[in-house]
Amino acid sequence: MTKDKRFGRRQLLKTVAAGSTAAIAGCSLSPSGGGTDTPGENGTDDGDDGDGSGQVPGEIPDLSTFRGSGAIVEGRPAPGGTSIRDLPNLTGSLNVYIGGGEGGIYAQFMDMLENFYPDFTVSPNAAPSSSHAQTIVEEAQAGETRADVFWSIDASSLGYVADEGAYEPLSDEAVDPVPSRFTGEDNAWVGVAGRARAVPYNTNELSEDDVPNSVMDFPGTDGLQPMGWAPTYGAFKSFVTAMRLLEGDDATRNWLESMKSAGTERFPNEFVVSSQVADGALTSGFANHYYAMRVKNQRDDPPIDLAFTEGDAGALVNIAGTLKVQGTDKGDLVDTFVRHLLSAEAQEFFATRSFAYPMIPDVQPVGGLPTIDELSPPDIDLSELSNLGPTLELMQEAGVSG
Amino acid sequence: MSGGERGPSSVERQSQLWRRLVGDDGPIGTGLTLVAALLALALVAPLAWLAVEAADLGWEAVDLTTQSATVEVLVRSVALVAVVTGASVVLGVAMAVLTVQGEIPFRRFWTVVCALPLAVPSYLGAFAAISAFGPRGALSHVLDPVGLSMPTIYGFSGAALVLTLYTYPYVFLTTRASLLSLDASLVEAARTLDCSRWEAFRRVTLPQILPGVAAGALLVALYTLADFGTPNFMRVQVFTQFIYARYTGFMRPYAVLLSLQLVAVTAVILAVESRIGADDEGAYESRGNRGAVELGLGRWRYPALLLPAVVAVAAIVLPIWIFVLWLTQGGPGYQSGGLAFSWTYAENSVKVALMAAGASILVALPVALRSAASDSRLARFADRLTYVGYAVPGIVLGIALIRFSLEVVPAVYKTVPLLVFAYVVRFVPQAVGSIRTSTQQVDGRLTEASRVLGRSRLGTFRSVTLPLIAPGVATGAALVFLTTMKELPATLILRPTGFGHTLVTYIWRVREAGLYGKAAVPALVLVVVSALSMAVILAGGER
Repeated sequence: MTKDKRFGRRQLLKTVAAGSTAAIAGCSLSPSGGGTDTPGENGTDDGDDGDGSGQVPGEIPDLSTFRGSGAIVEGRPAPGGTSIRDLPNLTGSLNVYIGGGEGGIYAQFMDMLENFYPDFTVSPNAAPSSSHAQTIVEEAQAGETRADVFWSIDASSLGYVADEGAYEPLSDEAVDPVPSRFTGEDNAWVGVAGRARAVPYNTNELSEDDVPNSVMDFPGTDGLQPMGWAPTYGAFKSFVTAMRLLEGDDATRNWLESMKSAGTERFPNEFVVSSQVADGALTSGFANHYYAMRVKNQRDDPPIDLAFTEGDAGALVNIAGTLKVQGTDKGDLVDTFVRHLLSAEAQEFFATRSFAYPMIPDVQPVGGLPTIDELSPPDIDLSELSNLGPTLELMQEAGVSG
Repeated sequence: MSGGERGPSSVERQSQLWRRLVGDDGPIGTGLTLVAALLALALVAPLAWLAVEAADLGWEAVDLTTQSATVEVLVRSVALVAVVTGASVVLGVAMAVLTVQGEIPFRRFWTVVCALPLAVPSYLGAFAAISAFGPRGALSHVLDPVGLSMPTIYGFSGAALVLTLYTYPYVFLTTRASLLSLDASLVEAARTLDCSRWEAFRRVTLPQILPGVAAGALLVALYTLADFGTPNFMRVQVFTQFIYARYTGFMRPYAVLLSLQLVAVTAVILAVESRIGADDEGAYESRGNRGAVELGLGRWRYPALLLPAVVAVAAIVLPIWIFVLWLTQGGPGYQSGGLAFSWTYAENSVKVALMAAGASILVALPVALRSAASDSRLARFADRLTYVGYAVPGIVLGIALIRFSLEVVPAVYKTVPLLVFAYVVRFVPQAVGSIRTSTQQVDGRLTEASRVLGRSRLGTFRSVTLPLIAPGVATGAALVFLTTMKELPATLILRPTGFGHTLVTYIWRVREAGLYGKAAVPALVLVVVSALSMAVILAGGER
């Protein structure tokens, strides 16, 4: 499958080789202004119009290709950081164990990398991050490593692999651009995109001041209901785990029970929660920050905004990150690959398409979100979030089964 | 028995025992029997690895088993099986009686309608039900403006409803077969002896059709217990859902232990059914079919047809309508970037399904041929043994094979051959069954004549037996192919790194990502595939 694709790309490369110099000439790392169309979503643009907006095989297009579209994305300043053009080329093939759940945005980026580098192929294998983490440890123990890179959507799975020693340290060059609170000890892993727990609220019903600063005060606060949550969602379970670690089991169980008896409604995922808040069907809810951003980007000025609690489980910041799998013989390629994920273009791509928190300080989050430094996440070791067993039990006891 | 002291010498006795075990078929026949037995054994051996893994847990296994969460899952699973089986029996028997005995117009049409839900995999039904009835689903748009709200479809009752809708046809089909062979004169006799219509049904018809009903109920119970997609989509914590959540949630040893418990529950269900199925007492002796019973419905015939009509709309029209809606108008995420559908997924599905069908025939031929031709116990045992894989839920098989390959034969770990092996274990009984049946119908005199006329054993097989059993082989291969296309849990766990998606893993993936609309094409393809497999089953039944 991949083979055919690569062959086709080579042929294509030959045919466009002559015209591609024009594309290079048009390339510079500057935003092409607001309101331009953004190929890549449905990208059938062959790129022969010379403005570099298409994905010319073998070439790195300009910023507009990476940037998403929509109300809250337009008119952003150009991102800082290292451009992909200043990085070594990617050559060879990588097996990537990738955590599921982000609607394929990461897979889409890897497709783009394959397009830029004709001699580079990625074989992604998607499954829940926790499942991949255990598989990697089991495979490493049996000496049967199948993956070169683990791209997890949460820190706990990275922490699990790191604790079990089934990693190779990443190079300093790969890890350095990211603040140390989003990297693992011994360069075991590095964050690629961040997400914050948040409280989406309907701005017709509430103002930011109505939302308590402490998540533990929610059960006793009037006016927040009807609320919505999605207990089966992994990020919610991490949130409960964080609360367990910070406040203890009894307080957490009480909190879940009180919220439930106050009428908090159950939804299949947090996008639905956020949409319902914008619809006015819910007054507020618990969700990752980017779901509200997605709603904002799709609608015309919907009545939804985000509040953040302080220093507690409600303010948890989790990351998606990458790890070099023990036993890979492609260590250098993995390092270069990770540097690509932390390039200005990649960070802009994740920030404007999945509304993730960028991991390098020179790229701003979208839509007027507080920067990652302005949030006050709780002081816990993210890798401890892997201890899900007691969380599931506790949630079950409280009648809020995950 | 007790006078055996003076019987044959111990050497003779041993050889007698040996003969009873492997049969008296000469060296080649015996060799084939042994091959069949070894093949069957190889298929089920990896399952034993689960016990080895669970033994590693030691005393913790006891704690985990008696833990309240485990007990709750057990109770909920058994309850779901009981509710679905009970509801399926009521629905299936009622519809069978209606279409076989009732005076209804377009009888043939309604018969097909009643069997048709079998043509939709239940997880697709669940998927469609969630999209239609779930929060912000297609139907809530219709109901919301008039002030009605949908009761939640998630959970136990939703799962029970969906499963019943898609499994009652098993009971319908087996009951229908029993009813068709029912002797009408018995019922008439009961009626002349002043039994009411209901009493005649209870005392005459019911005992006669009970083994048929039980056979259908067994299939429903096994399906419900093993079904992975539906409980996962409907978020009800039964064994399969619970095992998968633990398997992906840093609790793999617990998942292994739960898998063993699920196998134990399966064994109990099989044991219960063999009691009911074998219990023929109470059934009146009857020879042949002397005309069918007619049930005069009068004015009630049209209201009675509402039952199959409503079921057909809910089970068939609704999902297809939803999928077509996604296809034409776009559903959630239909147009958004990423996770685009690719026909290579269909290619992947077809590729592994073809391999599974081919491999299954290679395994099934010796097993079925020996089982049909030889009276040896070993040959029959090999035949029975292959059915173990059929009863073992796919999630259990997947976990067993992953663990077994990683620890014992790492060379096949997460490879296509291992995936195909899993399909063979799971679906080979379908091939064994259809090949055995067609072999039993081959006239022994034909093969004898061929041998007398000087053909070798192999030559006879090639020129006489094989052409005669070819339809059976084809049916078996088709069934394995089609069921492999639909298989979800083992594929999900065993899919090799870099292999890409299959149709079902892609559906699983887009559902996980909430991009339901993208499942339109693969879902419709799978409905067609399932419809074809039903057509093959029904065509095979009529031969």
